[in-house]
Amino acid sequence: MTLLALNGLTKTFETPTGPVHAVSDVSLNVQAGECLAIVGESGSGKTTIANMILGILAATSGEIAFDRQTLSAKRSAKQRRRIQLVQQNPLSSLNPKRSIGASVRLGLDVYDIGKKSGRWTAVEAALDAVGLPGNMRTRAPASLSGGQRQRVSIARALACDPRLLVLDEPTSALDVLVQARVLLLLNDLRAKHGLTYIFITHDLAVVRNVADRVAVFQSGQLVELGETSQIFSAPKAAYTRQLIGAVPVVDAAELNLRNKLAEGV
Amino acid sequence: MSLLHIKDLRLGFKTLAGQVDVLHGIDLDIAAGEKIALVGESGSGKSVTARIVLGLLQETRTARINGTVQFDGQDINSMSARDRATLRGTEMSIIFQDPTSSLNPMFTIGNQFTEVLRRRDPKLSKADSHVRATTLLDEVAIPDPARVLRAYPFQLSGGMNQRVMIAMALANKPKLLLADEPGTALDVSVQAQTLTLMRDMVVQNGTSVLFISHNLGVVREFADRIYVIYRGNIVEDGPTDALFANPQHAYTRALMSAVPRITGVGIPEVPEVSDDFLAPRISHGDAL
Repeated sequence: MTLLALNGLTKTFETPTGPVHAVSDVSLNVQAGECLAIVGESGSGKTTIANMILGILAATSGEIAFDRQTLSAKRSAKQRRRIQLVQQNPLSSLNPKRSIGASVRLGLDVYDIGKKSGRWTAVEAALDAVGLPGNMRTRAPASLSGGQRQRVSIARALACDPRLLVLDEPTSALDVLVQARVLLLLNDLRAKHGLTYIFITHDLAVVRNVADRVAVFQSGQLVELGETSQIFSAPKAAYTRQLIGAVPVVDAAELNLRNKLAEGV
Repeated sequence: MSLLHIKDLRLGFKTLAGQVDVLHGIDLDIAAGEKIALVGESGSGKSVTARIVLGLLQETRTARINGTVQFDGQDINSMSARDRATLRGTEMSIIFQDPTSSLNPMFTIGNQFTEVLRRRDPKLSKADSHVRATTLLDEVAIPDPARVLRAYPFQLSGGMNQRVMIAMALANKPKLLLADEPGTALDVSVQAQTLTLMRDMVVQNGTSVLFISHNLGVVREFADRIYVIYRGNIVEDGPTDALFANPQHAYTRALMSAVPRITGVGIPEVPEVSDDFLAPRISHGDAL
């Protein structure tokens, strides 16, 4: 079943030096329960697409349909709550003046989810779901490690009972050991809560291990879309091969694969 | 002889609750022209080691530094603050993680170049500095250097700023370049390009490098030798090939397994903390 459908989605920014075509005529479907990776370099339009899906930006033209309903940037709270965002840098995306519990609770208050008296219990349950003790809710973001903060961001998104999570470079600011733990957590949560992910990143090695399908963007255009295993065994676009060729590799099997793909350029 | 010789380096910070020890006796050597990587997770002590080498942490009142840090035969710890300051930007320089935020947003690239070049040559005229800067930007493959010199950092892309940083850091032909997670803030493809560029530049100039990173994959193609640091102790070191062919220490193995593979073997289960991580240091012989 298609959960999210983008149809001819376009975003053009008017600037003093002329129009910038950030996203040009993008059509793709996201299936319920899948993890679709959106990859590309800075300026490829990844985040602009995410912002339109989230309703932060209005599309210049084209259509977004979520669960068969058309979504515009002006959407109801009920529609908004089903699509949640996890950002790259948890230190700047969590309010430093608020306890982490208050940050997680904010969504519950804004969308009026559950009885008021039960909301702190819901906050503790959300923290528990991401592997943080409930009594941590009174702590400030500054007293947590990077990995713990990213878990809080995930808990904040989960608390709103979303169907789709937009993960915008969720592990790029973390070191490799912490990244591995957060990626495992995201995998577990997707299975447990029946979530759908849009995973935005420039790290192809992460994509290989978390995504079901990959959409490759270059200068606002969708240049390749396919199953992850196909993209990494026989990429069609030269740009995709170039992106895979830039991934730092550790073992001989990876080096072989990378060299094999590079020869195809 | 080593260009940088670190022996039994210890660091603690004095706090209200007593002293917190951060480095527990680091030994590390860099030969002239050698490219060394120091790899470990956040909080392992990589960046403080770099700040001691630069002589910056010595200015922090709460820092307690013991042990030997010899740079080019001189003891950094016993030097005056003024002498240490003279070394920075001339004999040693640093490239930080995020190039755009480490350049001054209020000055053009050209003006910042003049400032850097005058560290070595205080009487350098503005015109001469622009000529030198143009050559340097040309060397890091920046098209239209004249335009870049007139630009402010925010007018350039992250990759472009990183090239500018590399050109500036090498402008005064330092003997030692410190690179603290360079390019982590950039795209994978731009990062790969800038690392290749940095490697070519330091090889050409014979500069020694201390490269700090949390990702073993990133340093594999750059470093001659690798030191792995965990909680203020070096746990394993050796030539890059030997370390990758046969990682011995439990922590090195965990770090290596945590790097996602493009062959798609899944995300590994990495232990939170293991007693094995605190096992004694393993050395793969001396490549010097």
